[in-house]
Amino acid sequence: MSRPRRDPRAERAIRTVEAHGRPRLDFGRRETRPVSGRARRDPWREWAASLTGESDAGPERKRYDRSQRQMNRGDAARFARARDTLDATDVSPGQPALRMIEEPAFLVFAVVEAAGGRLSRFDRQVLGGARLLADAGDADGAVVAVASQSAEGLGEAGADRVLLMPRAAMSSGRSEALQAAVEMLSPRYVLFAEDGDGADCARRLSVALGEPLFANVEHLTVRQAVRAIRNAGAEIGLVPPRLMTLGEDRAKPYEAVPCEAREIDGEAMVAPADSAILSVEIIPGDPAKLALSETDFVVSAGNGVEDFDAFRDLAAAMKGTPGASRVVCDAGLMPRQAQVGASGTVLAADCYLALGISGAPQHLQGIAGCEHVIAVNTDLHAAMIERAGLAIVQDAQLVMPALLKLLKERTA
Amino acid sequence: MKTIVLLSDAKNPVSGRAQLSRLEAQAIGLAASLDEAPQGLHVGPGEEGVTAGLGHGLTGLDVVAAPDGEDPLPALSAFLNDALAGDAPPALILCGRRGEGGLETGLVPYLLAEALGLPILADAVAVRPGDAPGTLVVDQAMAKGARRRITVRLPVIVTVHPLSPPPPPFAFARMRRGEIRRHAAAASEMPITAADPTGSSPAAEAAAGERPHRARPKLMRTAGTASGGANLHVGPEPEEAARLILAYLEDNGIRRYVRA
Repeated sequence: MSRPRRDPRAERAIRTVEAHGRPRLDFGRRETRPVSGRARRDPWREWAASLTGESDAGPERKRYDRSQRQMNRGDAARFARARDTLDATDVSPGQPALRMIEEPAFLVFAVVEAAGGRLSRFDRQVLGGARLLADAGDADGAVVAVASQSAEGLGEAGADRVLLMPRAAMSSGRSEALQAAVEMLSPRYVLFAEDGDGADCARRLSVALGEPLFANVEHLTVRQAVRAIRNAGAEIGLVPPRLMTLGEDRAKPYEAVPCEAREIDGEAMVAPADSAILSVEIIPGDPAKLALSETDFVVSAGNGVEDFDAFRDLAAAMKGTPGASRVVCDAGLMPRQAQVGASGTVLAADCYLALGISGAPQHLQGIAGCEHVIAVNTDLHAAMIERAGLAIVQDAQLVMPALLKLLKERTA
Repeated sequence: MKTIVLLSDAKNPVSGRAQLSRLEAQAIGLAASLDEAPQGLHVGPGEEGVTAGLGHGLTGLDVVAAPDGEDPLPALSAFLNDALAGDAPPALILCGRRGEGGLETGLVPYLLAEALGLPILADAVAVRPGDAPGTLVVDQAMAKGARRRITVRLPVIVTVHPLSPPPPPFAFARMRRGEIRRHAAAASEMPITAADPTGSSPAAEAAAGERPHRARPKLMRTAGTASGGANLHVGPEPEEAARLILAYLEDNGIRRYVRA
């Protein structure tokens, strides 16, 4: 979203013709423009990028995404894919399409969960923190994403290399495999998420390696890592040590040029079994019974929904947790626990399906963390339609039975 | 089965008064479901915060005196070593994810497991006795509401997840009935066999410049992806709309709707 800045003095110097006496300029000369190196915003291109929902059908009203969100690299690539006339480098010229680091000066491990083959928000933040440490100074460090399964979008999240660990049922096995990898590749930093298995693995590794762990980092820069101690009464700041766990929402995810995410081989790392563990069984969460704050997919009803029996059937068939807007909960059509928004639950879900919800600001606050939003609404200019990644301008009462029918066909 | 809950020296972040950590109160609730007389163990200078644990369901509390700011690990490990070698050894040791009020690295349960040679499981939301004697079934919290059900041989150390059931209600009379056993600091007599890797680090960290905490803003949870324009559909047929929605869900890997 930028073009090089012009330098009129240098241009003038190029156009100057050798002559006696009076300076003469050759205006026909078109040579490579010297640039001062400063990136400059291109409002025309941004305007074109914000153009949404144009149709070939005819002179319909144009719609623009006026939210002034900065388009990141991933979005730009998606945007470019949707338009044949543009390619990814057009949207941000002057940058290569892929960032490659052939001979890394040092390695930074970022241990990501990547549950279900998808990177969570927290995983992206850990990779962003690792990228920050790897780009320190002039030396090119490489970020190694350590995951137990391959995930989509690791390159766009900033991973230069991917190290796949053996699938271990228990974190004790995972941490032993990780210890072998750390001893083999000797990274400069190992960064974990202070959450779930990542936190567990970090502590096991710290004990196994006999190295201190800097847990729950609140502020991470190249020079300093800071964390709170004594019930947030004091803090300590150190030069970033080797083992760190990062707190949630403490580092920015990486948003520049995609990295290559090349797979590297871990040499026959086998996760040994723990003798005290007799059996391990994974029980997937039942979306119908989960709390809204814990689920990953919410199917939500607003004022545009009248048939709530069909809505509950639909939520069950789509394997989503039912939610509702404030109007519906006030009317007593859905329980208060189901309310999404500022006065209800603020979601941490990946996906939100809004049926007949126009999108009041308080409701949009509740879904601010959702990555994917699908809106079904009759009003083309509703805020929810503008927010959505897939917007369908149609009556939710008509779409619900069609969805139920299609789901029955698929699963029967 | 005999259960011990480890209690830390938590302070209220606003008033600075000693209090019982919520996660440890939840651990007491889990312990009370397994053991009629769960015991508490605290190593530290005072006991005013942890006595509330008696009101939440502990029947006894061992307090090992230790000077403020000293590493509790040697005293804990010595006490538990004696208890495990005694005639009524504890089968289960419960603790929070991170002890509060100290350096809060969350390493103490792991170092303790290493020193005592016990297995450790993190993030329990439910525990119940296993079918075979001498086993325990632990439900571990995972992302997105999933649970990992692990059967483990006792004795074991288990840390508790915030999603475990809320703590049992506090009762003042129960707190007064509870027995507090005070022990002198005799930790230095017993050397720990396992090398304590962070033995020197707490002091080093404290020397590295402890300063008043400054709250730093977290990242804002902003809106996700822009629609990019290709995905607005005005007035499609309902069947077409349904097909679009399912295709979007499957393309983004959120759900798969296939024949069971």
